[in-house]
Amino acid sequence: MAVVRGHVGAEAPRADDLPLVDGSAMFIADLNRDGQLWARVVRSPVASAVIVGIEISAAVRHPGVAAVLTADDVPDVQIPIRLPFAATPECELALQPPLARDRVRYVGEPVAVVLAEDPFTAEDAAELVALELEERTPVLDLRAGSGADSVHDRLPDNVVNRVPMVCGEVDRLFATAEVVVSESVVVHRHTGMPLETRGLLAEWEEGEGRLTVWGAAKVKHFNRQALAQMLDLSPQSVRLIEVSVGGAFGVRGEFYPEDLLVPLAAMRLGRPVKWIEDRREHLVATNHAREQLHELEVAASEDGRLLAFRDRAWCDQGAYVRSQGLLPALLPALQIAGPYAWEGFSIEASAVLTNRTPVGTYRAPGVTEATLVRERALDRVAAELGLDHVELRRRNLIAADRMPWVFDLGPQGEPIVYESGDFPGSFEALLAQAGYDDLRAEQRGRAPGGEAVGIGVSAFCEVSAVGPFEQARIALEDGRFAVYVGVGSVGQGVATVLGQIAAETLGVGLERVAIHHQDTADTPEGFGTFASRSTVLAGNAILLAGQDLRRKAAAALGIAEDTLDVDLEYARLAPQRLTGEGTFEKEHPSFTFGANLVLVSVDRELGRVRVERHLVAHDAGRAVNPALLRGQLCGGAVQGIGAVLFEELRYDRTGQPEVSSLEDYLLATAGDVPAVEAVIIENPAPTNPLGIKGSGEAGMAGAPAAVANAVADALGAGAESLALPLTPARIRALVRARELNAQPEAS
Amino acid sequence: MRPAPFAYERVESVEEMLEALARADGEGAAVLLAGGQSLIPRLNARLVRPRRVIDIDGIAALDHLELDQELRVGALCRHWRLEEATSLDGPWAALREAAAHVGLHPVRTRGTFGGSLAHADPAAELPLAAVTYGAEIELRSRAGQRRVAAEEFFRGPHRTALGPGEAIVGARFPSPKPDGVSAFAEVSRRVVGWPLAAVCVVLHAAEGVIQGARVGLGAVGPAPRRAIEAERLLEGSALESSAIDAAAVAAARACAPAVADGVDEDTRRDMVEALVRRTLAGLAGAVW
Repeated sequence: MAVVRGHVGAEAPRADDLPLVDGSAMFIADLNRDGQLWARVVRSPVASAVIVGIEISAAVRHPGVAAVLTADDVPDVQIPIRLPFAATPECELALQPPLARDRVRYVGEPVAVVLAEDPFTAEDAAELVALELEERTPVLDLRAGSGADSVHDRLPDNVVNRVPMVCGEVDRLFATAEVVVSESVVVHRHTGMPLETRGLLAEWEEGEGRLTVWGAAKVKHFNRQALAQMLDLSPQSVRLIEVSVGGAFGVRGEFYPEDLLVPLAAMRLGRPVKWIEDRREHLVATNHAREQLHELEVAASEDGRLLAFRDRAWCDQGAYVRSQGLLPALLPALQIAGPYAWEGFSIEASAVLTNRTPVGTYRAPGVTEATLVRERALDRVAAELGLDHVELRRRNLIAADRMPWVFDLGPQGEPIVYESGDFPGSFEALLAQAGYDDLRAEQRGRAPGGEAVGIGVSAFCEVSAVGPFEQARIALEDGRFAVYVGVGSVGQGVATVLGQIAAETLGVGLERVAIHHQDTADTPEGFGTFASRSTVLAGNAILLAGQDLRRKAAAALGIAEDTLDVDLEYARLAPQRLTGEGTFEKEHPSFTFGANLVLVSVDRELGRVRVERHLVAHDAGRAVNPALLRGQLCGGAVQGIGAVLFEELRYDRTGQPEVSSLEDYLLATAGDVPAVEAVIIENPAPTNPLGIKGSGEAGMAGAPAAVANAVADALGAGAESLALPLTPARIRALVRARELNAQPEAS
Repeated sequence: MRPAPFAYERVESVEEMLEALARADGEGAAVLLAGGQSLIPRLNARLVRPRRVIDIDGIAALDHLELDQELRVGALCRHWRLEEATSLDGPWAALREAAAHVGLHPVRTRGTFGGSLAHADPAAELPLAAVTYGAEIELRSRAGQRRVAAEEFFRGPHRTALGPGEAIVGARFPSPKPDGVSAFAEVSRRVVGWPLAAVCVVLHAAEGVIQGARVGLGAVGPAPRRAIEAERLLEGSALESSAIDAAAVAAARACAPAVADGVDEDTRRDMVEALVRRTLAGLAGAVW
């Protein structure tokens, strides 16, 4: 048999499609253990209150109820921050306890847990838990400041931290600028909405002192560590297992209050405990995202050169700082400069507490918000200069020969480094695929028919492929090459892509490789699946592990490595219990270029937007599986369209959420989006042997910005601030305002 | 998202249904379960907490659709049957289009005509069609039978003329003039979903002049209703653009939308005006 190559770059079908289609895939709701109890979380009905008392006696007496737990029954612990660089001493003052102790701080905050024989009884009994609450005025304004009530007494001005960043001589640049434009953008609250809500099943084996938890996703090794610490167990006695996941998008799989409460209840009661979040809970309990206010000033020269910007941002953290720490304020700051050759900028992003559901990271966190803010402002600059939107960007994208590009943040910060890429070339590839000049002609051609047609573009640099490392181990097991990695599968097809890399490295067929990522009991310690890192980090670890295995095999057999066919020699190798090991370390994150072009038509009378074309260009470094890559870009773009047109987690003036189901939290459906066109660019990354760049989030990052710009272009409102999402009411308001403005000229 | 406890009873005939309703009267709230497309989600969300659920889904006698001098629709007629009834064309086309706009296909295979009327959502399509066509809703209880005009039946959001012990068994639609035309249109945030405004129009013309016009508006008030002034402006007109404009403006003026889905009243009035204008303009092409 010949050594099989050519897997990387091939459009291998997804390994996990068949079980998903034939129904044999197991999701957490499908799993049950003998004798299990069901958990139901009792949640705060108000945004801010002092807990005077919690009366559980009626619930405890309810037939079929095993126990009701309140804060007094759980250890005095708080959910820790996962990433050291996103933690500060101030963050530690606002961490969330698993159950509210003295105060409730958002609608949906867990205050008690009911354990019952079945989920119906658990829900019945949960209604019998009586909360005596002394309501406080909720903090809902991002700029309420120190005059308002405090979400946490120890942070009286409701600001957790300020993230300052300065590059270059900003004041001087503004002083010399011929054009200065200000833009205020409110990015609205919305979040990941996996079709499968969260769920957990926990079992405690008293004799073995072993705790098993099914339902992990995203960051299982960190969660195991955190859980073990809270329960005073050794990490080795805690096992977290991933099962099939119906989407994660950054929100599923972080450590939430339930991730302690469910295992804790299983240990206390000596019976397995199952919990499945319902949609109404998901909408208040799972991390929210995106809500922030930016005031951006841009300085440019008369000939359309971008000189500098100042960004002041207020980023909603919600009621607690959750496991992602300061990321909601840090990530926009890191990514608001984007792919342009600024001579300087200054940023001050405040992480602000409010009495709303805590905020975490949702697919393309920070970059989506930052791109929306910056690209809206750039269209305003273009309008001010009378320049075409595309031309302004052409003049300012960082040229390929200036790579690596460094934004020096002075002694206080690590520089922002763009390692590689051809930003102008990638942007031109997007324009060519779109047929930009023809689209402008089409836009002019359709105008007389009363159609409002608009074209919007956006470009961005996304932080991805975050370290610090991933490990891989390859063993010869059950006739196959078993590859163990610590990243997670959340439906994105990572097992397929990693299988391709393993097969390529080993020189075997795809069917000879099995990827194992589900179980902390047999996978190497990993950092998980986020920040478009899994394929880059785990893929390169597999490359190293595969090379290690081949080296060891060649030595064991006394064959030259370059002629070794490990598959052919499998029978001789297997008894030797050879394993290949690899650790890929990555000190710095990488930034990846992407751009979008969108064509919309707006029904002026009905206020409806139709996205007719949506193109995403993305520099993938190297496309391991172009079909899956297109799927990622397309899925992200659809979420981005939904985000800017439909999705919104609205709150009323008392801090009550106004959406409680998917009937009022609107997701884009197939009919609402065009066939997304992916333009895959491959400029290999210099900082990993495979040359891969992160791709999981790129479809989302620039989509809301491009759609918003296209709508503004359609309405001739390039220089106006848009309130989001772009509801019919808001579109109509823009149309009416422009009709009013137009009238005096007409008469 | 699981219902509070309730007693469940399945009935196989109209008589059994009425008996069960009468019995349940003594023990507090009972609800009828038909296709379950509105009731089950509301049960699960505990928005309704009936003591008893009477499952009528298997009463074959209520699952019918008959068209002769009039149209008779049984309470358990599924939306898809209306949607696919090709005999409903010309003046009946709007009824088919209304049925086709209900939810998504799986909903239409289970959801029932009577269920939609009883649920009385102000934005629902079939109540709007019933009002526009001047249908009569047939109600029965152990005490007997009565007919209520659709315009009287819908009293507000989820409020109807149904009395204690009463159930919808069907509706009768009087036949419009055979050479009439009709159309249904709605606008929602997404391609599918609850409408923010809906319009149902039935017209009858003779020698180039509109003899009879019915214009119904949905989703823009507590219950579907006809835009009488718009109808008056259309009758006697030649459906020329000035008449269409005047009718559209009158229709918009006639509705009382509430704020919903973050969409304000003015926008919804604008939507009604545009929908009425476009629907009439489309029919103008079909008439002449």
